[in-house]
Amino acid sequence: MKSFHLSIVTPDGTQFDGEAEELVVRTISGDMGIMAGHINCVTALGMGKALIVSDGKKREAACIGGILSVIDGKVSLVPTTFEWADAIDVKRAEAAEEKARKMLDDKAHMTSVEQRLAEARLKRALVRKSVASSTNTH
Amino acid sequence: MAGVSTKEIKSRIRSMESTKQITKAMEMVAASKLRHAQAQITSSRPYFHMIYGVIQDIASINKELTLPYLSTEKQPAHRVAYIVIAGDRGLAGGYNSNVLKMCYGEMNGRECTVLPIGKKAVEFFRARGIPLMNEKYAEAEDVSVGDCFSMARSLCKAFRKGEFDEIRIGYSTFVSVLSQTATTMRLLPIEPEASEEPASEQEILYEPNSVEVFENIIPEYIGGVIYGALCESRASEQAARRSAMDTATQNAEEMIADLNLKFNQARQAAITQEITEIVAGT
Repeated sequence: MKSFHLSIVTPDGTQFDGEAEELVVRTISGDMGIMAGHINCVTALGMGKALIVSDGKKREAACIGGILSVIDGKVSLVPTTFEWADAIDVKRAEAAEEKARKMLDDKAHMTSVEQRLAEARLKRALVRKSVASSTNTH
Repeated sequence: MAGVSTKEIKSRIRSMESTKQITKAMEMVAASKLRHAQAQITSSRPYFHMIYGVIQDIASINKELTLPYLSTEKQPAHRVAYIVIAGDRGLAGGYNSNVLKMCYGEMNGRECTVLPIGKKAVEFFRARGIPLMNEKYAEAEDVSVGDCFSMARSLCKAFRKGEFDEIRIGYSTFVSVLSQTATTMRLLPIEPEASEEPASEQEILYEPNSVEVFENIIPEYIGGVIYGALCESRASEQAARRSAMDTATQNAEEMIADLNLKFNQARQAAITQEITEIVAGT
């Protein structure tokens, strides 16, 4: 299978740098798949699961926010948060979920900014949980 | 006798010793913080370069000049927003004053608003009567990645509303442990580097459309750059403090050696005098 050069870089360091055959990420307008020979393209990332096929092996990760760009066959994924499924701390995600739900329970006392932050926190926790659980059941 | 009593010299030596202990301790604290900050830089630098490169590529290929945030006309900006990153504490050599003076010099004659990060930046611009956007980030040490992104979002919003024509950032680049340079950089509007060839001949496909993509990725980009600049500044601060304290410790040592010599001379002079008196007395 034809491969392309993929680099995944986050503020915490380089997560992946090498050849990959397939990449599926959640963008702001839904899932998007990329294979070798894709045209130049730029999009913003949403919150969701990322799937990377490299050397015939599938790997999943939680991928939240950031930029995806394909320029002349080079794919750059620059997310704000990127965690490989096996590196996700499920307990932490669960704790964050619970905390966010509690915060959202009393919406009346929140400013819109706080509410948005809490919702974002909840969503991140849910994404992490779902990515971690889907891999563990495989 | 040299006029100074041995007792006086002794007390000066003692006070010098304690100063030296303080500077030595500060140096060691800075050195250990520096190691941590350097590790953070090594992990965040690729991100900084990558995100900058991606945006430059897009800007150089882009032919639709109507995109938000891209510079369309080469007009000098009138209302400029400055993000200035300095430290919370002094005793770091020229670290704070270099970056603050550089930014202040650039502002000359323009209508500027400052978003200060770090207590020293807040104090500096307040004293000079320059309007501050807010003082939420007065503690540079506590600013997190999340803060960088929320800063970026509110700045982008203000830029889109036309409150500012230009957004710049002033920070210290960590060149090496011994050298840090104050730098300013333009964040918005984005302008492709003049000499650069388009990264590709092909047009770019924006999914779902260019405006929406830009609305989403530019705040990410700005947030990433602010975070990168913050990491650079933090490491610079520790490096500057380490070398300033190292110099201070060395100076203290030199002074102690000098005072010790004086002390011994005074003591010897006193002994000699006593002997002379005894000999003369018999």
